[in-house]
Parts: sequence; C-alpha cells; structure tokens
Amino acid sequence: MELLRPSDVAELDGGVFLHGGTEVVPLIRDGLIETETLVDVRGIVPRGIDGTTIGAGTTLGELEVDPELPDALREACRLAASPQLRNMGSVGGNLLQATRCWYWRLKFPCRLHGGDRCHAREGEHREHAIFGNGFCASAHPSDLAAALIALRATMRTNRRELPVEELYRLPTQDDREVTTLQPGELILELDVPRPEASTYLKAMDRQRWSFPLVGVAAARTGGERRIVLAGVAPVPWVLDSPEALDAATPLPGTAYKVEIARALVRRALEAVA
Amino acid sequence: MARLIRTEKEVEGRYEDVWLVVEEDALEQWPAGPREIVGREAPRKTGPLRARGEARYTADIRLPGMLHAAVLRSPHAHARVQKISFEKALAAAGVRAAVGPGDVDALTDEPGYQGQAVAAIAADTFRQAVAALELVEVEWDVREPLLDPEEAVRRGQLVGETSHYERGDVERALAEADVVVEAEYRTQTVLHSSMETHQSICEWRDDTLDVYISTQFIWGIRDEVARKLGVAPDKVRVVCEFMGGGFGSKNGAGDHTYIAAELAKRTGRPVRCALTRREENLAAGNRNATIQRLTAAARSDGTLVALTGDFVNATGWDGWAASTDGPMRMLYDCENIRTTLSPAKLNTPPMKAFRAPGFVEGTFGLECLLDELAAKLDIDPLELRRLNYANSTDDRPYSSKNLMECYKRAEPHWQRRNDVRARSEGPWKRGVGLASQVWYGGGGPPSYAWVRVGSDGRATVITAMQDIGTGTATAMAQIAAEELGLPLDRVDIVLGDSARGPYASISAGSSTTPSMGPAVRAAAADAARQIVEIAAQRHDKEERVLSLAGGKVVSSDGGSWAIEEVVDLLDDAQILGKGARGPNPTGMQVLTFGVQVAEVAVDVETGEIRVERVAAIHDVGRVINPLGASSQVEGGIIQGIGHTLSEDRLLDPASGLTLNQTLDAYKLPTIADVPEIVTELLDIPDEHLTNLGSKGLGEPPIVPTAAAIANAIRDATGADVRSLPITREEMLRALDEARKKEKRGAPAAV
Repeated sequence: MELLRPSDVAELDGGVFLHGGTEVVPLIRDGLIETETLVDVRGIVPRGIDGTTIGAGTTLGELEVDPELPDALREACRLAASPQLRNMGSVGGNLLQATRCWYWRLKFPCRLHGGDRCHAREGEHREHAIFGNGFCASAHPSDLAAALIALRATMRTNRRELPVEELYRLPTQDDREVTTLQPGELILELDVPRPEASTYLKAMDRQRWSFPLVGVAAARTGGERRIVLAGVAPVPWVLDSPEALDAATPLPGTAYKVEIARALVRRALEAVA
Repeated sequence: MARLIRTEKEVEGRYEDVWLVVEEDALEQWPAGPREIVGREAPRKTGPLRARGEARYTADIRLPGMLHAAVLRSPHAHARVQKISFEKALAAAGVRAAVGPGDVDALTDEPGYQGQAVAAIAADTFRQAVAALELVEVEWDVREPLLDPEEAVRRGQLVGETSHYERGDVERALAEADVVVEAEYRTQTVLHSSMETHQSICEWRDDTLDVYISTQFIWGIRDEVARKLGVAPDKVRVVCEFMGGGFGSKNGAGDHTYIAAELAKRTGRPVRCALTRREENLAAGNRNATIQRLTAAARSDGTLVALTGDFVNATGWDGWAASTDGPMRMLYDCENIRTTLSPAKLNTPPMKAFRAPGFVEGTFGLECLLDELAAKLDIDPLELRRLNYANSTDDRPYSSKNLMECYKRAEPHWQRRNDVRARSEGPWKRGVGLASQVWYGGGGPPSYAWVRVGSDGRATVITAMQDIGTGTATAMAQIAAEELGLPLDRVDIVLGDSARGPYASISAGSSTTPSMGPAVRAAAADAARQIVEIAAQRHDKEERVLSLAGGKVVSSDGGSWAIEEVVDLLDDAQILGKGARGPNPTGMQVLTFGVQVAEVAVDVETGEIRVERVAAIHDVGRVINPLGASSQVEGGIIQGIGHTLSEDRLLDPASGLTLNQTLDAYKLPTIADVPEIVTELLDIPDEHLTNLGSKGLGEPPIVPTAAAIANAIRDATGADVRSLPITREEMLRALDEARKKEKRGAPAAV
C-alpha cells in the first residue's frame, strides 16, 4: 500500500482519503476498505475556524472549545466519541463515517455490501433505524451531520457547493451508496450560519464514547425551526415537524427509539423556542 | 509439624474433598485494628513501574527467534470440517509450521461455537501468520446452531446434569404462607474484557517447556500442561510477572498455550500465541446468561417461609454449572427451599468463571425478589433482611459473620432515601436500593512462602504466586514488614515464576490474600525468630526480652539495635525463613458478607439511568491494605455497573455469530459512568481463620451491585426491572408496564 501526500487539490488522482485516521484506518484493518493508495489530505484540506467558515480538516476537539460556534455544533462534538478520538477526527471525516451496523461491519452479505437482504431487520437491531429503513435498517452514526443540517450549513468540495443534507442519500436497489460524493471529490470547507438558538441532545448506552441511539439537533434560524435526528435512519433524518415522528416505521427492537425521540424533540424545541 | 488431613477445598463455590499436608499454624493472630504497617494504606509497590510502562507483562515479552502463531477459528457456530488443506498456506512467505485437527487436542474438526480453534500457523511475523490463514483451504459443512437455552433444556442437551436441592417442606410452606411473590429474572452474557488478551509464549529447552502466560494460576498451568503433554510437572516452568486482567477467565491454560507448545516443538523456536481483541470477545469465556423463575413466600410479619428457584444457565458449548442458586440457599434463614439448576449446552462460546460466577447472577434475582416481597408486605427492605438473618444455613457454623453489623453501618446510607427521593425533579426520578452479599473467600492450603534477610537489613519475600493486578504483592510485603518490624520500603517481593519460589495458591475465588498472607507471615516470623536468636547471642540477652519493631531489635529491659547492625554480622550468610498456610477451621463455613446501597436517577421519558452513589459495606475479616482494598471495591462496583446497565454480548439469532466483537460495540462503562463510591470495610479479624483472620475481597464487591441498582430504580420509579442489562429499551418497557398496572388500579410505586 502506498501513501501519497499531495500539496495541491489539483494533484488528487484516486485513492482513499486519509485525515485523522480514526475511521479509515479501522475500516482498512477490517477489510471494509480495500485500496492500494492512501492519500493523506492534511496538506490540502483547510483547518481552522474563520467566522462562519470551518475548514473540513478542523478537529472535533477544536470545534468543541470554540465559544463563538453555535451550541448545537459544540454539543454534538462534545458528546461524540472520546477526547482522544476528537483530537484526531476531522469534521469532513466525521460526516463521511460509515454505519456502525454490526452486520455491515462484520461483512455479512447485506444490502449495503451489495447483497439481497438486510440481516438487521430479522436479526439483532436494537441500535438500528426507525425511519427510511425499508431497504436497509442501518443507522447513521454522525452527531455532527445532524447538527450541521439543523444549522443549515453548506459545504464546499473540490467540485461543487451544496447544503450538507444533500451530501446524503438513502441507499436503493440500484445505488447502495449513502452519500452523493463522487470518486475524487473532497470536502474542503463548511459554512455554518449563526442561528438565534440551537441545541443538540443525545441518548446513548453509556455516558460517553457511544454512537447515538437517538440524537436530536434543533436550530432556530431567521425565525424558522429545523429538527434533524441522528442514529435513526441510514442517513441524518430531517424531521419536518414533531408530529412527523408518528410516521416512524420502527422495527420490533427499535420502537423504544421513537419514545426517546419524542422526549428529546420536545426538549430541543423548548431549548430553541 | 506437617500433618496429613482430609479436607474440603473450595474454589469459586465448588467443593472437592482432597488430601492435604498442612503445617500447624503456630502464630497467634495480631490484635484487631491497624498496626504499624498492616491495616494502613500503602500505595502498590509496582505502581511506578506500571505508570512508566516498565512493568513487563506477558504481552511485552519477545524472545530471541520467536515465531508468531495465528489461529484459524470457526466462522460458524456449528459446523464440521469436511476437508482442510495447508498446502498453499505452508508455501506462503514466512510460514514455518501449521497444525490442524488431530495435531493438538485443542484443535477440532467439529466446532461447536464461533471462534473455536480449528487450525493454527506459525510464521516469522504475526502479519504473515494471519495472511497465511487466508490460504488454508477448508470445506465446511455448516449445521444448524442451537441457541435457545430453554429449548436445550427441553431436549436434555446439557453440560452435565440438572441439579436439585431441597430442604424442608416447600409445598406446605407455600400453602400456609400469607404472601407469595413470583417473578422471572434474566441476566445476559457478559465478557471479561481483560486489557491483556489471553496469550502464551512457549519455548522448549531440551525436554523442558517454558510457558510465559497471562494467568491467574501459575501452578495450575504447570500441572495442567504437564498432564496434557505427558511430561513431568517439574519439566514445565511457568512465568507470569505482571498480569493484565483475568477476572476468572485465566484460571486454565487455554487453547492458545497448547497451540504455542506444539508449534514450538515442531519448529524448535519459541512461539507466541496471543488472542486479538476480536478473538478475545469470542473465545476467552464469558459470564453466561441465566433465566431465573423465583418464588418467595412469607408470613405477614415478614418471616420467610419458602424460597424456590428454577434456574437455567446458558452455559454454552462447554463449561460448568455456576451456582446461580447459591445465594438463594445461603443468604437467608429459611427452612423450606427448593432449587433446580440446568446448565444448557448451546452452540455459543463456553462460559468461564467470572468474578463470583453464579452468585452475581443469582443475587440479582434473589435480592430483587426480596424487594418485591418487601413491597407486598409493606415492610422496609432493610428490616425484611434483618428479620430473616441466617445464623447458619447448614449444619456448620460460620467461622465469622458480621452481616448484621454491615446492615447497621448501612443505615446512614439507607436513611438518605427521603432526601434522595425529594431531589427528584421533572422527568428525573431518584431512589435508593440495597442488596446483600454472600460469597466464599476463605482461601486455603497448600500455599508457601520464603523470606530471605541479608546482611544489608533488607528482606525479600519469595513465593511463586501471581499478582493479577489486585495489589496482593504489596499486601504480602506489608505482612512481612509488619512481622519483621521493617519499614515497607525495605521489603521486596519476588513472584511470578514457578522456578523461583514455592507453590502458591490460585488467584481466583477471592483466595490470594487469605491463602498466601498466612504463609508469608509464618515465613517472616521464622526469619524474625532467627534474627532475635542472633541478637540475643550477640548482645547477651534472653530471647524472650527481644522483639522487632521500627527497624530495630528492641529489648524490653532497655537497649535497641538496628536490624541491619545485627544482621551485618552475617556477611554472605543469609537468614532464611519459611512458612506454610495452615488449615481452615474444621467443620466451619468460611464466607464473606456485605451490603451495598445504591442511589440512582432515572429520566422516565428517555429511559436514561444514572447511578449517582454506591455505598459498599463488606465484612472480609482483617484488612491488610485499606487503599488496595478500596480499589478492589471500586473495580468490582464499576464492573457491576457495566453488567447492570450497558454490557451485553449479542448474537445473531439466526447464525449464532457474535455481533459485538470490538470495544466500541461491546459497551463497558467509561469513567463518566462511575458514581461516587463509598467503601466501608468492617476490618474485624475472623478469629477462627489462620494467623491473619483475613478473607478475600476480589469478588464480594461485584455480587450485590446489580440488585442494589435495580432496587433503587424500583424505588425511584415504581417500575420492576427484571432483566439485565437495564438498557433504555428495558427501562422504558418496565415504566410502560408500571403505568399500565397503575391504570388497572394496582399501585405501581412502592
């Protein structure tokens, strides 16, 4: 395996991008990513915070301690992973995390791996989805993604600009990807507008170092409220209204997540009222 | 004098009758209470080494020319190897040898669980060995796994037999009782999660085998390996200087040792076989899940008249029937008790002993049941336990029991209940619960120690025991220092090598301190006696007026001499003391007792549970090192919190494959989950037990934690949580059930 260290975005030519390594390294070790070329993008992805602009190479640890940033973003960082991981993991990498679905991680021939069934639906699925789970019941693990979408953040890649929610797509029979990122496309910067108020609440199996069972980000920007959930669908899930929870399609083992979501959504809306 | 006795030996609650040669215990116990060194806080002697990363664990050992083994483990829960070929693997880079079914007893062609060892390869590097595993060609015949313990019991597929216990007339007692409560409790499978995975390095030197192994029992490994390989025990040397966690899972040699030994024999090189974290989560053992159908019956005044329990242990492919029924039989004064215990044989990884095996699970069921009974009787739960206090549960008296004193010491913690409940706020409901503990922990013979004092006035304790991370090495040094009247920093301890010291006890069943401590004290006393004899001759005193204290030989009629001054005469001569563990008191039960009081907060809307405080009051006889002891209590409670709230080894219900094989998915508690822990040890020496009066403390602190927390949750919310772990899903389910019950008119809250 070769490691490339390009100094300019223009030099990018294939390979798997590596930044903090907290996600990519384990995926390579476990054979979930197979590549001959790793591209260390730390030299070309901006890092740091400048007003509403955040370099995609900024670590979660750096975001967590910046008092100028919206509460939802800082809380989503603070409640993610562990201090060690937050000191390494970058925003860009966090948005692109693969699901923690154990069937996918253990390489069961599931739909995300191109197979013809979702093992979690009939199997052990207490951490899995309550929305968008007809084809694949995996849950998206990113706390930050929910916060950024609630905050109406946009991102700039080496190819385009887009709202963060457009980074994600539900996997389908014809296209099993969960992001719209094209090969060679690299997230460079985010723009995070300042809301009037925002918050992020998270239910976990323990107090720290746990992916969200349910994460709820809420923000009020220009008088409009936006609620986005983490850990409840194969992608971050925008909730049009609290009542939209009635339309959840939980599996037998994930019904409890709906109850948690109801409580956290109500609390989040109170916090940004 | 050496004495041959026939005695009952107990480890982890299992008894066997054995012949033992024991030395008489000639020393009087010290008076109760802290002494100069024993009974006072001592930081562990190996602390700086550990903190600096200089402590050499088995995982750190790299012998010259050492090869690395990787193990091919069954990817199926139940399968048969139709054909296996190593041809391509043996041709791969760095590969030196391969073994398969038939080559080593530990390798099978009929794996009964995912992770069972089938073949292994030794190569120059671990990476090469792993790469070569991919080239082993196997044809599998995959079979249907049996995963449901109750189905296994129905089919009679058991590990051993269903055991039955009965005393009194249960049916009559049930019929005559004023109040009967019945409930079903379930506990889950949890993993030991030792920081240092199971591993061994084996090296043959001529016909002698050196085994470097992460183990809880140096001498047990020596005997087991010698027996299985058909060599004389003294031809096996076992080394474990530092140990990174075992919790009961490292009592035996394990497949990895036999794989390493065979590959070492075939290659003529040392071979290391170390489990990866994923292998550890599959094949290193577990605390088996249980199903407990329990009944308690009482008179309206609170007198327990009957207890019954039908217990099913999901033992797995192999193992033994841990005593889930033990607490029901041993904790309370109840004349009529009936239990059955069925160990189900399943296509799941075998159980191994895990910190008070059976009793942790059984105490959860029993002590929750007692609280449900207390609620129905409208009697204070602490009072109910006092009302049914046992002074013996069989013919044998206890060597000592101070549980009533533990209850008394628990009162201030228990009386916080009203204040704690009053701090409930919004969705956060607070409550307090308690649970009692009974467990073994008396240790026993044989165990030996030597003490060497040189002309520099320093002492060395020599014994081939292991300190599995509990701090027993420091406790042994304290005991020797106390007896020799030396400051602690002038006593060293050499341990961890069967070639460098006498036989020592297993570190399981809370037995290291009660087994080894008396032997160390006897050896130190033997050395002290010799120092006194020398001083008496040198200074023309009678021996009876001399004693050792504060680093000096002190004469009661005036005068004192520094010990190093006395032994300076020795030059190259040495004072050698030897000591042996005396017998346990004949005809007595040696048990440990305690009570824990937990305070919790429950968010009734999201099911979040926070354990805010646990007070642990235990009676384990004399305490050698209060600092080490409180660390043990904290560790036990933290492990208990994981068992209660978050840990759960999950299987795919169709294939029987383990789904959470890594530490991000298998959820141990983090430091943020740790509550305030208050440790109170009675520190009352057991007057019948050896020259120390100390019992073990490794296991007692984890025994009552789950029940205390569950009872606190019931106190806070009125919800009956009967299944571990109490995840948010289980908490919300129980709250929902309580609300429905309330609607139907029955009071939900206690």
